[in-house]
Amino acid sequence: MDDPMAQSEPSLSTLQRWMQSVITHPAGVTAGIDSEAARNEIDVAAEEIEQVITRSRALDSIGRLQVYGNAYYARLLDCLSAEFPTLRHAAGEEAFGAFCFGYLQQHPSTTYTLTQLGAKFPQYLAETRPARVSADGQPDWMDFLIEVARLERLYSEVFDGPGEEKLPLLSAERLTAIPRESWPLVRLTTVDSLRLVEFRFPVHEYITSVKKGESPSPPDPAPTRLAINRRDYIVRRRSLPPLPFELLRSLRDGLPLGEAIERAVRHADCDPDDLPAQLRGWFKALTTNGYFLAASLRDHLGDPEC
Amino acid sequence: MTEPRLGHPLLGLGVGLRSVHYPFLLEHEPAVDWFEIISENYIDSQGRPRYVLDQIAERYPVVMHGVSLSIGSSDPLDFDYLGKLKALAGEINARWVSDHLCWTGVAGRNSHDLLPVPLNETVLAHVVDRIRIVQEVLERPLVLENPSSYVTFAASTMPEWEFLTRMAEEADCGLLLDVNNVYVSSVNHDFDPLEYIENVPHERVVQCHLAGHTNMGTHIVDTHDGPVIDPVWNLYAHAHRLTGGMSTLLEWDSSIPSFPEVHAEVLKARQVISREPHGDVTQETAPDHGAAKSEAVPHPAVFVTAEAE
Repeated sequence: MDDPMAQSEPSLSTLQRWMQSVITHPAGVTAGIDSEAARNEIDVAAEEIEQVITRSRALDSIGRLQVYGNAYYARLLDCLSAEFPTLRHAAGEEAFGAFCFGYLQQHPSTTYTLTQLGAKFPQYLAETRPARVSADGQPDWMDFLIEVARLERLYSEVFDGPGEEKLPLLSAERLTAIPRESWPLVRLTTVDSLRLVEFRFPVHEYITSVKKGESPSPPDPAPTRLAINRRDYIVRRRSLPPLPFELLRSLRDGLPLGEAIERAVRHADCDPDDLPAQLRGWFKALTTNGYFLAASLRDHLGDPEC
Repeated sequence: MTEPRLGHPLLGLGVGLRSVHYPFLLEHEPAVDWFEIISENYIDSQGRPRYVLDQIAERYPVVMHGVSLSIGSSDPLDFDYLGKLKALAGEINARWVSDHLCWTGVAGRNSHDLLPVPLNETVLAHVVDRIRIVQEVLERPLVLENPSSYVTFAASTMPEWEFLTRMAEEADCGLLLDVNNVYVSSVNHDFDPLEYIENVPHERVVQCHLAGHTNMGTHIVDTHDGPVIDPVWNLYAHAHRLTGGMSTLLEWDSSIPSFPEVHAEVLKARQVISREPHGDVTQETAPDHGAAKSEAVPHPAVFVTAEAE
């Protein structure tokens, strides 16, 4: 399209790039007007700003631009606070605000939706974290905060992502009806909403406690394996021991049941004598939790369901 | 001759659908004329927001109101976004699709604010061109809202009502007349709100918005966080008389009270339109002191919080 502003005036794109630079400048609109980015667009000093932005009877031009400047970070901080309430609780208002302020400068929104605003926040926290003080390999306070952010982001993704509410899930009865001789070759299709994640802190319990309005102490490190899915449009999380977690991960990765069990047993280091009973119990629990959509005897489309 | 409301039905008195009210709405199915949704909260949703919307759309007329079209931006239009708007509008039988006369960002960024455009001939031509493209994609007339704004540009050459009027007529689109925004901008930019209301093309006003705001003393911020003030109701009464009736919707986006309280606020319009327009439309309300001073932030887009165990 042709330049939508007259020759004597800055073009619309120039004016908009200038205004965006000014109102999103981290040091405020006056610093924004004087910034290189803004002056590359419209070379006007703060004291000459009425050449671009007119004043009102009650407010000068800088004050008027400040309404947008103040609102920009405040609005997006509110959105990140809504998505990461437990991180905010754990880090405290000031540190959380500083995290967000840095993040928004490095990762400004580039989509039409606010649901993507926090997508890179956990990654940003991990990339910009201070160096660990201790050399013993133990996770520290920042590791805890990053894990809280990771789980809160996962909750958002699962909450509004694909789900299975309108699909029939694989029932425990249907699973146990599969002939015993077929079991090693059976592949189980896991639900789209399923996420399997490992943490070094029991962050799920901390998040739930904060959500209830409690003031929990930050937990001690403890290996934590979570299966997260969505049922009835609510995000569910279950902490799993090593055996079912590895089993579920192998099945999600497409391994047939026989291989999945072998891999899970190797990882989980469980008592072989106790294994059949454990597996029966866990398959019932995993199925009841709604992690499986279907069972089939081959790995490509068109093969018979069990 | 243009039909009143561009031929759209008069839906009555509606409320903006917000996630805090989902449980109440599903449980009580209150008698409400219609709902307006924030389009961006639903066009990608595969979870509870979309599930609730489907229930609502089965029971009530629904209108889609967007905050990211950025019709006034110099960036290219986002055709992926437009495609999603069109798809959702078809799926929920949206009565119309609206957004704002504004830009939300440039150079690929989104401020999630509704930023004003300079009001002059060249920007008018730019906006009209883009509205035509959007209408071709959506295969329906677009309805655009006058934004509340806090700056005016030296490059502007006409009042906002004239820009809106010419835009609507040249692009053959509808208008969403936000009378609270007219009031807010009239205080912020020292113009007569009644002159604005009297001069917009009344037959193109499909819908009206009402909301509360925060008076900062030197300016007003469109915070959508309280009841509608009397001067705005008086403006509404004038607009209702001039247009012959507009589908009317209350927006409440911050410090949101219970659904019955929000609904009761918009139902006040029944009393307002049953009387002859009277009263001051320019009366300034007292500044809101205290916490509001530092916290007055307009939230055109609303974040939907995840529900987890």
